[in-house]
Amino acid sequence: MSSPEPHASAAPPAPGTIAVAMRGITKRFPGVLANDDVSFEVAAGEVHALLGENGAGKTTLMNILTGLYRPDEGEIEVGGKVVELASPRDAIAAGIGMVHQHFRLVDTLTVSENVVLGSRTEPFLLNRAARTREVELISEALHMPVDPDAKIWQLSVGEQQRVEIMKAVRSGSQVLILDEPTAVLTPQEARQLFRTIRVMAAEGHSVIVITHKLHEVLEVSDRVTVLRGGRSIATVGTAGATPESLAALMVGRDIDVARRRESESTIGDVVLTVEGITAAGDRGGDALKSVSLSVRAGEVLGIAGVAGNGQRELAEAVTGMRALSAGTVSVAGEPLKTGDPRAAITAGIAHVPEDRMHTGVAPSLSIASNIALKSYRTEAVGPFLRLGLIRKRAQEMIERYDVKTPGPETAARSLSGGNLQKVVLAREFSSEPRVLVAAAPTRGLDVGAIETVHGYLRQAADNRVAVLLISEDLDEVMMLSDRIVVMYEGAVAGEVDPRTATVEEIGLLMAGVTGTAAGGET
Amino acid sequence: MSLPEIRIEKRLKQRRWLMIAVPLGSLIVAHIAIAILLVATGHPPIATFRRLFDAAYIADGALTNSLIAATPLAFTGLAAAVAFRMKLFNIGAEGQLYFGAIGASGIAILLAGQSTPVLIAAMIIGGATLGAAWGAIPGLLRAFLRTNEIITSLMLNYVAALVLNYLIFDSLSYWRDTSATGLVFPQGKTLVDAATWPVLTIGSVAIPFGFLVAVAVAFVVWVLYTRTRFGFETQVIGDSPRAARYAGMRTRRKIVAIMCLSGAIAGIGGASQMGDFRHVLDARGLQQANYGYTGIVVAALARYNPFAVVFAAFLLGGLQNAGYTLQSAEFPSGLVGVMQGMILFAMLGGELLVQYRVSIHRRARQARTETGTAS
Amino acid sequence: MNNSIVVVVLASAVAYGTPLLYAALGELLAERSGVLNLGVEGMMLVGAVMGFLAVQKIDGAKGVVLPLAVAVAALAGAVAALVLAFLVVTLRANQIVAGLALTILCGAAGLSSYIANDFELATDPGRYSFEEVNAFGLQDLPVVGPIIFGQTWLVYASWACVVLVGLYLSRTRPGLNVRAIGEAPAAADAMGISVARYRYLHTIAGGAFAGVGGACFSLALTPLWVDGLTGGTGWIAIALVIFAFWRADLCLVGAYVFGAFSALPLILQAKGYTVTPQLFQALPYVMTIVVLVIVSSGIGRRRLGAPASLGVPYVREER
Repeated sequence: MSSPEPHASAAPPAPGTIAVAMRGITKRFPGVLANDDVSFEVAAGEVHALLGENGAGKTTLMNILTGLYRPDEGEIEVGGKVVELASPRDAIAAGIGMVHQHFRLVDTLTVSENVVLGSRTEPFLLNRAARTREVELISEALHMPVDPDAKIWQLSVGEQQRVEIMKAVRSGSQVLILDEPTAVLTPQEARQLFRTIRVMAAEGHSVIVITHKLHEVLEVSDRVTVLRGGRSIATVGTAGATPESLAALMVGRDIDVARRRESESTIGDVVLTVEGITAAGDRGGDALKSVSLSVRAGEVLGIAGVAGNGQRELAEAVTGMRALSAGTVSVAGEPLKTGDPRAAITAGIAHVPEDRMHTGVAPSLSIASNIALKSYRTEAVGPFLRLGLIRKRAQEMIERYDVKTPGPETAARSLSGGNLQKVVLAREFSSEPRVLVAAAPTRGLDVGAIETVHGYLRQAADNRVAVLLISEDLDEVMMLSDRIVVMYEGAVAGEVDPRTATVEEIGLLMAGVTGTAAGGET
Repeated sequence: MSLPEIRIEKRLKQRRWLMIAVPLGSLIVAHIAIAILLVATGHPPIATFRRLFDAAYIADGALTNSLIAATPLAFTGLAAAVAFRMKLFNIGAEGQLYFGAIGASGIAILLAGQSTPVLIAAMIIGGATLGAAWGAIPGLLRAFLRTNEIITSLMLNYVAALVLNYLIFDSLSYWRDTSATGLVFPQGKTLVDAATWPVLTIGSVAIPFGFLVAVAVAFVVWVLYTRTRFGFETQVIGDSPRAARYAGMRTRRKIVAIMCLSGAIAGIGGASQMGDFRHVLDARGLQQANYGYTGIVVAALARYNPFAVVFAAFLLGGLQNAGYTLQSAEFPSGLVGVMQGMILFAMLGGELLVQYRVSIHRRARQARTETGTAS
Repeated sequence: MNNSIVVVVLASAVAYGTPLLYAALGELLAERSGVLNLGVEGMMLVGAVMGFLAVQKIDGAKGVVLPLAVAVAALAGAVAALVLAFLVVTLRANQIVAGLALTILCGAAGLSSYIANDFELATDPGRYSFEEVNAFGLQDLPVVGPIIFGQTWLVYASWACVVLVGLYLSRTRPGLNVRAIGEAPAAADAMGISVARYRYLHTIAGGAFAGVGGACFSLALTPLWVDGLTGGTGWIAIALVIFAFWRADLCLVGAYVFGAFSALPLILQAKGYTVTPQLFQALPYVMTIVVLVIVSSGIGRRRLGAPASLGVPYVREER
């Protein structure tokens, strides 16, 4: 934690007139300080990256800039004037547009209807032909082909993103914010997006790219502001930056490969076997394509990859949350019934889910209820629950895992992210699992909580649990895993040894560049 | 120019005192609103309220009649509460009650020679079974085809009403009185005397057996929801279906089970109508009473707490009883419905205070050119 | 020929389908904006009683009083809907409970009865009522004459409303916004469309339509007052909107189909068939359930247009 923290004042000056500036922005949510005195500014014609880990406060900051949230403190300046952005309409009027990570498109409307939605200049009586032509012109100007008359639900994810960008441009945005724009794109689509971004900047637009991917920052942006733990840490010019220097700012410490955890226990027999599993995604199409892997007792197998390449679906498939269309998942040689979470639980698979607030716990119920979420079947006499036992066990868990809470009857929703994750871990470990599937276990947590969670994961492996760690945080995967499997487009792109692999090697696999020396799968 | 802006944020912790203060405040607000209406239309508010409460709870026999009016509402209220707690919006208690009445009267006709205890048990089982079966339809559609249960259960109310009409008015069914007069003036067969449910008399108040059954059902529902594995699963599913699936709970089965339970309770309400009060499958009377819909209001007033449902049913039942009693006299008709609606509206508004924190801020409108004060 | 039972029954199916059509158009507007208003029956009754009150109490010629009465009915329905909109949009109350509460508040044993009682409306028949108009002198055409050209002004106006509502939703900018809000309120909000304002306006407009629907009873079909005059039409309107796949033109077809289904048994009986009328009367409800099952499959919903946010309060700042 002893890294230098350059001050914003040391940042290179903005290359042109200031298009937008945010000063001293603070935003609190119940139990969370999402932004803490954040400041940064963007010039006209500049591509500015907002870099930070998941949960660093990037998205909240941008939701404030787009009028969706209102800051508790601080001021926003657009074109040299202080503005109050009380609603998205104010932001749009001020020339600020945003492409969200989860697209804000109306599925049942056409592309052109979505593009003009909310526009004040559109005539009262809609003119479809004129609208179609206008959308065609925009799509040509920005090099983004898409059929104006297609319904949104018929489009690919990449095409939907283009519609979002066209929407923002059409509404006269001078400042365009892109939230994790490449998370859902193929490399080709991403390259095309970067070209579009450059075209826009050349025309004098300011583009803010929110990301936690270092190579994107270096590739596309002019300057970068780094956020960490809700605070703005530094603004630097991209020209002088390296991946290492940005990573140090973002993580707040140098990545220390020596801190890697090495197995203390000998690695045992194969416990979890995944053989040729294929499963459909939420939007149709196969999200998992014939994935095979195995995890041994006492081993941590890390799954790396760019978000949206099938990692979430893999976690769900292994834990029975998602039905398979082919292949099997077996524990100690026993194949599991597909699409049945209870079968996975019975077989000894513990699961720390990605969405801890709505999947990992029932948020309105008490901590005690949430700790009993899986064990209640046995903590009962006939149909009746042993409430005393459940409460006593919850009290024990709260103490053992150091959950900060007034008591076991407190609603889970009032816990902070770290304490909530402790409740989930307490429950999952208490079942004495043979397999642990941990998906994004530290997303959105503060540094201290991350350390704690990492400690528990290591401890699980030391207790001869087979751990499948799925994370978009490459450092985390590198630090904790015995082996790393990289996923790309729903399939295994390759396997690497974290002791010898370089970040570049893994990066190529993550980008889908196959045929490297990185080696195949076992 | 600056306008006050109302900000509404979800409360992390529910304040206990609000749980009491809000219903009380809502009652007061509702009464003030009605008093204004009464004054505006030239009725003396205090005297009107006094007559209303006298007829509902104080006059000779008022409590007995209020309990009679409250009994079906307690059942339909419990039926709604059971389902709404799991966020299953079963508004089909109306039809489920009809089917309960059909089942209970059918079995009472079939077992006409049996003793009263046997008949009571058979009627309750018969009513619960048919009510559950009718409730199972929207439940199955919801569980397996993801069809919105609100509209399907509403539609099935009409189908149930038509079944009722068919049995009594347009066929020579098992339920219809097919004697000479019954053919001219269609009506159901009168049940044997042994099928009349007993009454528990305390002082001058006669408590219908059905009301006691409703209290028992409320107790069972409370135990079920707070003390059993089934209830635990229901709570989790109601709060977060994804968490329930994650924990390996069989969500679909629970949806069907809850809808059946809800239907069964409404069905017992139908049985109570047969055994306690009507003693004849009264197609028109049952349809005019709107027990099912009023039951949802009762459940909402009780915030879906089973014991509070019985109490709210007693309150609303009292109002309804007063409405019937005062119908002929110089009393504003429709006042009872207005009161019920007003009380519920005030409660719904008050609910906001329990669940959300409301604060009023001054806000500046639109972009300002000069630096403004920090809000 | 025009006196044949088929034509007579069909003509009355159109007449009796009209209040249903108005109420359904209103519910359509509310539902398209994402508000499921179960208070239609109550709003209709308030419209019916206020319209009737206006006819009885306003002095003037028939040609002045009747349109005024319709306006009063629309206003009354709109005010009732405003109460609901406040509860469900601003206070985020449960839409089902609020809708039922509105029906109880305004309904047959509520405000409509209170008003009727206070002004002693049940004592006299209506001073004026809408009568059939021989449109373009075509009432005597075979078959279509009495069905299409021998109706009241309320019926002709309802056709205009179908066209207007249909065009409004599909061809105008606010109509596009409404469709967006019903489907994806967060997306609409992000584009600067005020979800709350649109939900208020469309719920209120829906109430006005329901009020006119109620007035169809007290000003045309049965120009006198009895409590619960609308006889459950409001509930059927809710079914009809689904049955019509949330489309104005299909609401028209559906309203007359619903009307014909209740009239069909009479025709068949007159022809000497023994029929079970309930079987026909139940068909619309069963078919509504079937339609609902179809639209609840993902693809069906997208193609057919059930508003995805129906019944869900919109809260922006929730995390």
